[in-house]
Amino acid sequence: MILLEGKNLTKRFGGLLAVKDVDFALQSDEILGLIGPNGAGKTTLVNLITGYYAPNAGVILYRGKAISGLKPHAINNMGIARTFQIVRIFHKLTVLDNVRSGLVDRRTRPPWKVALDSLVKKRENQVTGRLGEERAIQLLEFVGLAAYRHELADNLPYAYCKRLEIARALATQPKILLLDEPSAGLNPKEQNDQIAIIKSISGRGITILIIEHVMKVIMDISHRIMVLHYGEKIAEGTPEEIYKNEKVVQAYLGGEAGAHN
Amino acid sequence: MESLFLQQVLNGLIVGSVYCLIAIGLTMIFGVMRISNFAHGDFSMLGAYFAIYFVLFLSGWAGWVGSLVVAAVGVGLIGFFVERFLFRPLLTRWTDIDIIMLSIGLFILLENGARLFFGATPEMIPDPFQSKTINFLLFSTSEIRLICLLFSCIAIFLLQLFLTKTKTGVAIRATSQNRNAAALMGINISFIYSLTFVVGSALAGLGGVLYGTIFAVFPMMGAMPTLKAFAVTILGGMGNIRGAVFGGFILGVAETLGGNYVSMQYKNAIGFVIVILVLLVIPQGLFGGREKKWG
Amino acid sequence: MNRKPLKSLFIILGILIVLALPLIIRDRYFQHLLVLSGIFILLTSSWNLLAGYSGLLNLGHAAFFGIGGYSSALLALKLNLSPWVGLPLGGAIASLFGILLGIPSFRLSGPYLAITTIGFCEILRLVAMNWVSLTRGSLGLYGIPPLTPLNFSTNFSIKFVSEQNAYYVILIFVSLTLILLNRLVHSEFGIGLKSIREDELGSQSIGIDTSRYKLTVFMISAFLAGFAGSFYAHYVRLISPEMMGLSETFNILTMVMVGGLGTLFGPVVGAILLTFLSEGLRFLEDFVKIDIRFVIYGGLLMATILFMRNGIVGLFKEVAKPKESNGR
Repeated sequence: MILLEGKNLTKRFGGLLAVKDVDFALQSDEILGLIGPNGAGKTTLVNLITGYYAPNAGVILYRGKAISGLKPHAINNMGIARTFQIVRIFHKLTVLDNVRSGLVDRRTRPPWKVALDSLVKKRENQVTGRLGEERAIQLLEFVGLAAYRHELADNLPYAYCKRLEIARALATQPKILLLDEPSAGLNPKEQNDQIAIIKSISGRGITILIIEHVMKVIMDISHRIMVLHYGEKIAEGTPEEIYKNEKVVQAYLGGEAGAHN
Repeated sequence: MESLFLQQVLNGLIVGSVYCLIAIGLTMIFGVMRISNFAHGDFSMLGAYFAIYFVLFLSGWAGWVGSLVVAAVGVGLIGFFVERFLFRPLLTRWTDIDIIMLSIGLFILLENGARLFFGATPEMIPDPFQSKTINFLLFSTSEIRLICLLFSCIAIFLLQLFLTKTKTGVAIRATSQNRNAAALMGINISFIYSLTFVVGSALAGLGGVLYGTIFAVFPMMGAMPTLKAFAVTILGGMGNIRGAVFGGFILGVAETLGGNYVSMQYKNAIGFVIVILVLLVIPQGLFGGREKKWG
Repeated sequence: MNRKPLKSLFIILGILIVLALPLIIRDRYFQHLLVLSGIFILLTSSWNLLAGYSGLLNLGHAAFFGIGGYSSALLALKLNLSPWVGLPLGGAIASLFGILLGIPSFRLSGPYLAITTIGFCEILRLVAMNWVSLTRGSLGLYGIPPLTPLNFSTNFSIKFVSEQNAYYVILIFVSLTLILLNRLVHSEFGIGLKSIREDELGSQSIGIDTSRYKLTVFMISAFLAGFAGSFYAHYVRLISPEMMGLSETFNILTMVMVGGLGTLFGPVVGAILLTFLSEGLRFLEDFVKIDIRFVIYGGLLMATILFMRNGIVGLFKEVAKPKESNGR
């Protein structure tokens, strides 16, 4: 079934049309790849979905309900999590605390209630106590970072930071995970590890949309792929179909044919 | 009533021009180095004190002009050392908050040090024209105030020329827009940093002399200009010199008109009220330019 | 390892000393400094909650202090409200103003937020200076009633005019505050604040409603500062608009930076140290004939940023670190 869909999405920045009339549909349990040359509007699309930008036109439906225009935290509380192109972990917190922060239940409680509970509830029952520690360690083990749990996130090498961000996103128990270039800057071995982790996540029933430039990764793990170019969707299909698609090849190899603003 | 209104507008422009000078210095430093210098107004104060002491040596016309030169050079020099030894080491290491805190520490040090050194009694930079009033058709003002306005405008104009027509000036603008690209183009960033801070501080010093000529000179005088300069730069968009010029004049006129027609006691608050209102609506300031969330 | 019982012993000893301090050193001026330190601890801890834990650069904190003080004083003077009620009420009113200063923090940060908060504080100070009919302007309010005595029986009542008794009252409030703040920062709410401090956009992506969190923490912080202000009003019994001046905020800020931003005890250390240092330097003034206090403050603040970024407590922690194998 269609879990997440967007219709006629358009986003303008001043004179620049970053996303133009894009439709997409994310089926539950699938891994949808999103590719396109730099500046194609991929991250903008993810930002639209997750509420960091509001679309100038079009709607985004999650389980049939319109979510365009909601704030990022609300969208996360509904079950959509994401990572960032340039990693946004909490540098001065420990690896463990980074994940623990994601574990806090904010779905059912407004901030004042969280504050009240914080003063009233015992520490063990809170995510910052023993309870949270075990669950956080589980998530860290899943991404292979459990050994570093007491390290400051600041001290982690870049590849590990990306994994930490994934673990933190998973802590929010999402139904959909949007990954923005999770393999950028990784060497081949690290890319393979990343592929394994992502497949594992999918195996747990989480639907994934992944932006990637590293073709090896995208072709390997995607069930379907969507291609953006200059803000428009130019192709959609299975990896094999996309690989052979002429428009896609042209977009990547250059040629201003069909360029517009 | 009309002439009074125009009178106030003129007064506002005169005061505003001083704000411009100080604010331009601040916004340049922020634009190029991302330093929010809360001690900036104290550089103005130091400039004013340079003038006070210089005119003891040389009085009249020459003294006044000379004090401007001395203030610019003296404060510029101080600025050089402050930048080199206080702010520069921080730039790579720490965060926004640290730089602001450091500048606050400098502010406290300079303000109270000045009190110690110069004494708390306000002084005036003597008017070389002996308060001769010029009467125009609809308004009147003193000669010296007009000279101040003129001087500010000339200074702003010369600065614009420098920034647009000279190689160094363009280098400064380039650095403020994209530090890395500028470095890659062969611009000596270290030199640009020092130069910007020196020029910015010198402008503050000049503004201080003008401020001291129009109003009075006392050790605590730096606080208000600092805050107002910040208000102006925020209004105009931090790093945006044209915005600072607009903002400076707007603030000067708004304050003077507001002070006369609304309330004298809350005059100093006008700047803040404007800034708060503007920022609540446009977080980047009027001329700040679009700031994408992913800066 | 015999570390735990030794540590507990030190803690118990420390508590006993703190409790007995005004009884040991009976000098009234010393006791006065203790009370002032207590008031400052409330101020520094509340500011630290904003700047240290949440990354919110609030340079208008003195406004809360002043509003608490003026509110409680005016309620006591004009409506005969008991100062004991005025304490939390002053805090509550300050808390409402916390909303006012908190709203800009939704979209502003760094120097923009700094100037906005300074602006609010200055505006409020000008109001206190110029609304003479209410606040008596720069003359300030005097004759503020002290905390009303607690009457236990016809013969036995505790008055709160003396420094010693005021010390015990503020000690209770400071202890309560520190305990609550400790719970708060190590809790789920606290980790949310720290997340916002570290990366606001990232924290939004994990479900943190950053605006509401900021509002909540501003209200909590303002309450504490307002409470401190009310206590101050009923203790020194004379307040003026200078309570809301920029130097007051800078005072607090210096104490926190020197003590250690973002730690629980940093504000405590900073408050006590600088209160006593400031008064100690005042004595110097009699000898040297000049007021050198604030010059030293400024120098101290700069030296801290340049050489001792994490303050005294930070220095302490660094020294203590190599001994522990598992950093916790």
